[in-house]
Amino acid sequence: MDYKIIPSTCSYCGCGCGVLFQVLDGRLEGTLPMKTHPVNQGKLCIKGWNLHEHVISDKRLTSPMIKKDGHLQEASWDEAIRTTADRLQAIIKDHGPDSVGVLVSAKITNEENYLAQKFARAVVGTNNVDHCARL
Amino acid sequence: MEEQIKEWPEPFSTTGDKTSTFDNLRDQVNAWLKEGKVDIFLGYKMVQGHPLPYCFTKENPDEADELIVGKARYSLEKMAANIAAQRPEIKIGLLVRDCNQRALNVLYVWNQLNPENVETININCCPSKLKEHGDCSYLAPQRSGSYKKQVGIDNNMDVEDVEEFSQEERFHRWMYEFEKCIKCYGCRNICPVCFCQECSMEHNDLIATGTVPPEVPIFHLVRAVHMAGRCIDCGLCEDACPVDIPLRLLYRKVNQVVSELFDYRTGMRADQSPFNILGDEVTLEPKPI
Repeated sequence: MDYKIIPSTCSYCGCGCGVLFQVLDGRLEGTLPMKTHPVNQGKLCIKGWNLHEHVISDKRLTSPMIKKDGHLQEASWDEAIRTTADRLQAIIKDHGPDSVGVLVSAKITNEENYLAQKFARAVVGTNNVDHCARL
Repeated sequence: MEEQIKEWPEPFSTTGDKTSTFDNLRDQVNAWLKEGKVDIFLGYKMVQGHPLPYCFTKENPDEADELIVGKARYSLEKMAANIAAQRPEIKIGLLVRDCNQRALNVLYVWNQLNPENVETININCCPSKLKEHGDCSYLAPQRSGSYKKQVGIDNNMDVEDVEEFSQEERFHRWMYEFEKCIKCYGCRNICPVCFCQECSMEHNDLIATGTVPPEVPIFHLVRAVHMAGRCIDCGLCEDACPVDIPLRLLYRKVNQVVSELFDYRTGMRADQSPFNILGDEVTLEPKPI
């Protein structure tokens, strides 16, 4: 029997509410609000309360998907990255860097967001960086 | 906030007439795990600067030296019930405040936990209407703002105070509170005595799911009715409510009715079945349905 309470941060939005994951025998069973967390002080919204559900959902994507012949099909990471890079390069070549926009997210970390904007500016060559909360 | 987290009161435990110090508490848990009185012990431990619920195991009994009693309170008994649902044979020890003990009694009565598999260590409690002095000041309700006092219901009110408002005023005041609801289901999710597999609050024929705001007041009143004979007045729901609806007060009222009509004092005893509270004889006057 293995029961763990694992502190984490809610990944749904940028507020950063403190959550606790309840893990029983390696299976994520539930989410609780962290009482002493300075952001949420023991409260959560409905998305936070159900944070564990997308982790254990059957509908969760477990591999990259590439659209081939009109259908999304599972692909390897190498293939997915290669395809994305080729398409981006072709688009930049034909239409210029400002034809590309990078939409970052509250669901990823500060460091990952930094990398994403660096990628947009230094690799793609555009200032088209925006955020999912403004969509 | 930071200071609040760091400053923990000197905890103590009373088990019967024995008063033990913090070290005794740790020694006791350690001994229980070593001698196999319990397989796991649910208590608290500082993790990343936060007092979090922690499961101490018999595989690692010396970890009990890190056991703490914090101001922050989680429903350890709900965790115990969740564990027991999957591993009914496991013997579970846990730290209990008065509210946890009342919740345990309700869980025993409703067959959600087997009292033979549960061992408890009592710790000091939070101040409340039921007990004036205690450690757990985290739960001391915040003072309500002037606007809330003017148009809504002050969370610190007694049932009797609220009943002094006229019926119409009372209704408007409660509606002000209910209309703030963001339908997070936190009150139900955190509730130690909410264990139904199917919940009326998520039953599409009763309450529309997938839409916000919720239908008021039916959303809250359905839950209030279901809290009759269940709610043990722990205040976790109110604590978890992002919009400060005075839920504890509402459920205190329904339990007052249960107490007056049936002499059923929820959570006070573990040997009182909720199924025969009416007794052998029906004393209520029959009314047309």
